[in-house]
Formats: sequence, structure tokens, C-alpha cells
Amino acid sequence: MLDSDHAAFIQTGVSISLAACAVDRLPCMSRGLGCKLIDGGRQVAIFIKRSQSAELLDNIRNTGRVASVFNLPSSNRTVQLKGVDAHIQPFDPADLPVIASHVSLFLDEVIPFGMQENMIRAMFACTVDDLVTVVYSPSAAFTQTPGPKAGDPLGAAS
Amino acid sequence: MSLRLETIRECLEGIIPGHIATCDRAGMPNLAYLSQVEFIDNEHVALSYQFFNRTRQNILADSPVRLLLTSHLTGAQYRLTLHYLRTEAAGPLFEQMRAKLAGIASHTGMAGIFQLLGADIYRVLNIEQVPGETVAPPPPPVNCLNALRRTVDRLATCNTLECLLEKAVDCLEKEFGIAHLMLLMHDEARGRLYTLASRGYPESGIGSEIPVGAGVIGICARERTPIRIGFTNSEYAYGRTVRDGIAADGQADALETAIPLPGLPDAASQMAVPISVAGRLLGVLYVESVSDLHFGYDEEDALVAFAAQLGLAIVHHQPADDQPDEPAGSEEAAPAVAGTPLTIRHFAATDSVFIDDDYLIKGVAGAILWVLLSDFAERRRTSFTNKGLRVDPRIRLPGVSDNLEARLVLLQRRLEERDAGIRLTKTGRGRFSLAVDRPLQLLES
Repeated sequence: MLDSDHAAFIQTGVSISLAACAVDRLPCMSRGLGCKLIDGGRQVAIFIKRSQSAELLDNIRNTGRVASVFNLPSSNRTVQLKGVDAHIQPFDPADLPVIASHVSLFLDEVIPFGMQENMIRAMFACTVDDLVTVVYSPSAAFTQTPGPKAGDPLGAAS
Repeated sequence: MSLRLETIRECLEGIIPGHIATCDRAGMPNLAYLSQVEFIDNEHVALSYQFFNRTRQNILADSPVRLLLTSHLTGAQYRLTLHYLRTEAAGPLFEQMRAKLAGIASHTGMAGIFQLLGADIYRVLNIEQVPGETVAPPPPPVNCLNALRRTVDRLATCNTLECLLEKAVDCLEKEFGIAHLMLLMHDEARGRLYTLASRGYPESGIGSEIPVGAGVIGICARERTPIRIGFTNSEYAYGRTVRDGIAADGQADALETAIPLPGLPDAASQMAVPISVAGRLLGVLYVESVSDLHFGYDEEDALVAFAAQLGLAIVHHQPADDQPDEPAGSEEAAPAVAGTPLTIRHFAATDSVFIDDDYLIKGVAGAILWVLLSDFAERRRTSFTNKGLRVDPRIRLPGVSDNLEARLVLLQRRLEERDAGIRLTKTGRGRFSLAVDRPLQLLES
């Protein structure tokens, strides 16, 4: 589903968020602390904090449907991925360097915009036992870079 | 609702962009970034509608809405549950958001792409703080509430309009720490605002004009609502851009152009606040800064409250009990003066007045000056009353809402700046005197 360019893009210093809806359609979302590709790029794994995401995790368990956006502040480039087979996995401490790397890349992105490093680090502060991994196969992908083409399927947009 | 929206308004400024989540009828979630969230009150916000995208489709299909907002001061995150009510495509809220979006678009390289189609209004059903580490917010540069209190105290000591205007700009500068500001009055008959006081510019610009509807100041006046922009943008520039636009529209003859409007050429933050009393626009307060996002919701609140107080005080100082006009010739004639005559030229079509070929003023203030100087030249008259001016058929004041007192302050200040030897001095409530240091030669054109 993801070409190499988009696969690389979502693993840079992007802002990541993940959403899922309850059966009554009420959506909920959380910030992602990083992501990685697995299964040869066929699946995306996003790391979130359990303490921030009880409702989101319930929604994922109930529906399996997720949407996630990846936005690079310096360029406004934004991609949305959706999946219908999301499931929750325990966090593997071996992925901690992925989060550390993501925080570092994200800081490089937002500090030029005047963001305070201690504030950003607080947003990403976490403990291993509070982390959880959400895995899904992207079944739809859209460009969401602001503009009239926002919402077009990836590949259809210029 | 445990949290009051007014206490987390910094999250709405978009410094860290918010997220909006919706759901289609099949239960598929959708996530998007928000350009703008506008605080309306503790139960309502407005979101900018710029494109007919999936979010919009879902909202129109009755999707519940969730926002995730983040404070750039503390890192705290909040989830808001919203219910869509309606979309406004005109009016004060729409214009507030359109102006703010123009700044955001310019700042993010989206000028020409972000165009506000509507202000989507939502009821806020719930606000929850997302658990997580936060940092202490930095202290604000100014305690706006305390600055407002001190300002109101100082305004209460004034007993003339002139003192009031002087104190008003002085307080904005000293109590609020605002380095660049203007106070403009509304000329209702002409649909113009004229600068009556300013601070922080090389030239005061007193007497300069801007049409209602032009730039940040003019839109604030037209919509009677505060307009606040956090980033440099050309769409809402006032100065030369506005003037060029007016000239292109063929209205230049109606606009004061000889006195340049003051203003920062590279302003990033701009805020204009209307001064209104009982539904009538008296003027506009305008402040600006070269820093991005210099004025926030707290500054806007404080200046709105300040403008309300100032407006009531201005009305209070418009003399209702004008002194009766004195019979002509009753006062002591002014002594004769010697020296090179001052040439005063009056152009009746626009009531423009020139002193020794230098432009001074036009419009109502120009007509007033010409009457004063004519009476002085004919019978050495130096004492005048507001009431006399109001009934003088030569001046043609535009009715009861003439702001005569403000026009006299404008004229007095222009004469002071010109320093040509003609002075107006207030001598009592509704009464003033004219002093002329040199012989006059009056020419009517």
C-alpha cells in the first residue's frame, strides 16, 4: 500500500495521531510517540500511551477501524492512512530507540518554530509499562497537505 | 463540564495545530489538522471551513466531533467533544476568522490556498484533559486585568476630552506595554476614520484617514468587532496597499491622502478594537507589533473592556450643556500683530485649508478653521463656543452625531504640529479661544 517515499516520510519528524470511533460514531484520538513498518511494509505500528488512550483502545478493540495522520510541520506535508484490521499489541521495549529517535527528529522540526524543548519532551514523556502498540494494515491512504487536493487518494494527487 | 474553555484559550491559537476527528456513516474514522479554532464563549467554538473535504462530509452526515488541542505553554492536551450547530458565511465572527486565517495562511505559506468559506459553529459538550506530563507556563509579559484596572482609574481623573484621549494612549503605552498604537475617530457622514492620537511612530499621522471597510481597522469598524491577526500578511495591510486599492476604485478624492497614515511597515501582530456606545461606533483602537502572536485573547479582552470604558467617557465629555454663543462683537478685539502675513487658502469643494501652500486639514475640521479665521480677520474675534459652531450655516456639521469636540481636538493638534502661529485653547466647557501670532491673508478658491 505504501510506496517507499511515503514509508520513509511517516518515519521522519512528523506529528502522529491515531483515531478510532465508538459504535455510536463518537471518535477519539491520541498522539503517537513514533511508528515503524512491519511485515515488509504491509503493516504500520504506532506507539501510544495507554494512560491517554483508554477510550481509543476500547474503540479499536470494538471496531478495528483506525485513521492516522502524519504531518511534517516544516512543509505542511500531511498523509492520512486508514485501516480496518487494527489490533493492540504489548509494547516491545526493543522499540524504545524508535521513540527516542522520533522525539529527536520531531524536536528538530518544531524548535525552529519557537517551541520549547522541555515542553515537547514533556508531551512525549512515557514509561515502558504505559506504552502500547497499535498495528494495522493501511487499506486506504490520502494526501492531506492543505489545499484543494487534500483528501485525494495517494498517487492521485500531484 | 469540569474545565472552562476560557481557561485554555491559548490552545485555540493554533500555535500547536489541533486535530479534528469525525466518523462517516459506516463507522470509519477520519482525522485532520485544524487551521483555526475561534473562541466564542464557554459553550461555543467556531472552526474554519475552507474545503469541502471528508471532515465536512462527515459533519454534514451528523458525525459526532472530537478535537485534540495542545497548549504550547504547558504541553497539556485536551479532548473536546463538539456538536455542530450551523455555518455562518458573513458577519462579525466570519470576518474575525477570515482575518486571522489570512495571517495563518501567510505564515504557513498557504496564502491564496486558505480561503474561509464559512465559520462552522459548534456547541462544546465536554472538555477533558488528557493525562500526561506538563510544564509550568511562563509568566505572561503583562497582567492585563491589573493594567486595565490602573487604566480605568487614570481615565476617571480626566475632565476634558483632550485629557481623556491623551491618558488613553498613554495608558496603552505605559500600563499595557504597547509600543505602537493609534486612536481613530469615526466620521459617520463620510464613512471614514481619522487618526486623533498615536504613539510609537516617527510621524503622528494625526488627521490621516482610512475608509470604513479597509484593512484591519476598517473591517473592525464596519463589523463592530475586534479583529486580531498574529502574523504578517498582505491581505490586511492598511497603509499604502489600502490607499492604492482605494485609488484604483476611484475614491481617492474622498480620502485624506496628504497626511500619511502612521503604522509599522512590517507589523506581524495587529489588533483593532471598536469603541462603541449604545450601538453607535465612536472610533477604533489599533495596536500592532513586529512580533508574531503578540496579542492574545487576554489582550483582546482587556482592550475591549478598555474601549467600552473609553467610549462612555468620550460620550460623557461631549458637552451637552454647551455655552450659549456670545453675540458677535461682544468680546474684546484681539490686538494687532505684525510680521510677514500667513497666507491661508481655503478650497470650498473639499473644505481643504492650506497655510502658506502647505496642506493642513480638510473636511469638517477645515470648515471650522476657515470660519474661525474669517471671523478673526473680519472683526478680530477670538472667543468661540461649540454651540455657535453647531448652528453656524457655514460649517454644515453632519447632525447630532457630529463629534464636534473630537474634531476640535483634531484641529488643535494639527495646528500644534504645524506650528504656524495659529492656536486653539480650551477656555471652559464648550468654549475655546483662537490666538493668531501673525497677520492673515485669507484666499478663497
